[in-house]
Amino acid sequence: MSTRIRRLASSALVAALAAMTVLLAPASPAAAHNTLRAATPAPEARLSAPPAHIILEFAQRLDPAFTTIVLSDASKRKVRTSEPTVTGATGTVTVDEPLAAGSYTVAYRIVSADGHPVQGSYSFTVDEPAAGAAPAASGVAAPDAPASGVATSGGAAPDAPASPAASSSRSEGRGPWPLAVGGLVVLAAAAGVLLSRRRRRGTTA
Amino acid sequence: MSDSPTARRVSRRGLLTGGALAAGGALAGGVAVADPPWVRTASPVPVAEVGTAVEPFHGPRQAGVATEPQAHAAFVAFTLRPGTDRAALGRMLRLLSDDAARLTQGRPALADTEPELGLLPARLTVTFGFGPGFYTAAGLHAQRPPSVVDLPAFRIDRLQRRWSGGDLLLQICADDPLTVAHTQRVLVKDSRPFATVAWVQQGFRRAAGAEPGRTQRNLFGQIDGTANPRPGAALDAAVWVPDGPVWLRDGTTLVVRRISMNLETWDLLGRTDRELAVGRRLDTGAPLTGEDEHDEPDFAATGPDGLAVMPDFSHVTRSHVSDDRLKILRRPYNYDGAPNPDGHADSGLIFASYQADITRQFLPIQQRLAERDLLNEWTTPIGSAVFAIPPGCAEGGWIGQQLLD
Repeated sequence: MSTRIRRLASSALVAALAAMTVLLAPASPAAAHNTLRAATPAPEARLSAPPAHIILEFAQRLDPAFTTIVLSDASKRKVRTSEPTVTGATGTVTVDEPLAAGSYTVAYRIVSADGHPVQGSYSFTVDEPAAGAAPAASGVAAPDAPASGVATSGGAAPDAPASPAASSSRSEGRGPWPLAVGGLVVLAAAAGVLLSRRRRRGTTA
Repeated sequence: MSDSPTARRVSRRGLLTGGALAAGGALAGGVAVADPPWVRTASPVPVAEVGTAVEPFHGPRQAGVATEPQAHAAFVAFTLRPGTDRAALGRMLRLLSDDAARLTQGRPALADTEPELGLLPARLTVTFGFGPGFYTAAGLHAQRPPSVVDLPAFRIDRLQRRWSGGDLLLQICADDPLTVAHTQRVLVKDSRPFATVAWVQQGFRRAAGAEPGRTQRNLFGQIDGTANPRPGAALDAAVWVPDGPVWLRDGTTLVVRRISMNLETWDLLGRTDRELAVGRRLDTGAPLTGEDEHDEPDFAATGPDGLAVMPDFSHVTRSHVSDDRLKILRRPYNYDGAPNPDGHADSGLIFASYQADITRQFLPIQQRLAERDLLNEWTTPIGSAVFAIPPGCAEGGWIGQQLLD
């Protein structure tokens, strides 16, 4: 008796979850939320000199109260930077300490206009400095350089900032499609169960 | 009578399906459902005794504050009639205290027109609050606790008069909704010569015994109230005025905010995003840096990408207070009005917060939340009121006696 109720409840639960999944999936298309459009230094860039700024350009306006940009080194130590300066859809931090050669991670957390948090990260590498290279944070770019001005000097950073790396993602961590497809499969299965039960009941009634 | 066994079984099945569908909303995103941690079996008050359980009315402090929250509540605010002066206030409070004392102890009110409804108190408490206008009417400006004034306007506020202000408040709580309704009826009738009803907010939590020992959940599915000071010394330090004149000592203050919760836009938010906005896991209530509900959040913890695990916009990050004396005691109730014709919910929270001093404890938290709590995206304060909660009274006494006599 109780196992029967539990079985009924669990099949109903599966159906409910499937329905919710299908309902939710189309509600989170990436296009509706803010995304990183371009970054300087670019993702996977190899720089011959350390950057003075990190400049992240998003698809939509940023809210300064909800914009976080963090730079950390290969040992996960946080690199000292300024608070983000926000101009329109662009957030900029100044790198406030010298960067040794090595790999660095830029991470961001912002909030879309509809309140949805968006976060992601990417890496770049600073190569061993060539002899006579300018020391870090010595103002390779003018401190007030507009977002369009590429703040990095030399290296692989192209003038037109590269598109964000694959590691940047919405905070859900999963795209909508696997959810939707999975949901449809589960929903179909649940519908089959319900239909077969109804048929059975129909014959005995 | 007409219920054949078959019909009953069918309806039970329908109930189960309906319940599971409702649960699907909370489970969207696919959490493990095998062993919900909130399933408990023991109940502090055996079900058979829910109706007869009694909370004390008399004592140095009013009941209904540190009292384990009951399942149902009505917050009833009154506007004093123009002629209600200090002497009239005394008459009104004698009357209200007497009937409240009777009903809380399972005895009908003095002129109870439905005395049978007064026999099951179900842990009934009636808590009296005095708004700023009460002191004005009594001609006792100097005795008003300084922090009991209208809150400053916050950027996020969309306050409506119909849910705001009030000269006198009765917070009526019980584990039975019929008891709350009857008590409200009796006390409103008592007050009619002296005051008009300004607003009533009715709310609920889980039924008595449904989730014993568990922090309440709001209609966003969030566990709500984890950071409350623990009963005992911590709660006492946060809530009760420890010294001062007799009309102040063992009193406290109450902020009532009606907070509309937009379930339509909240529905569009994935589970991970919901947890980032709150700073807690939805299932266990644990901070994003912890395992258990009552683990201290670690605001310095960072993820592999260097981002703080607790976002600085999360509700927990913004509202966190370490010092017990600066904490607030939240004792909220959910409200759930009728959906509009499009099926959009009218849901939210009757936020009720007790603290010894509103300015010192409540305002700094509220300011930080108003500034940068991501939850503001889905919540809107639509009502606001403040009250002094005077000390309790001994048997034969009445609430407010220390102030008015």
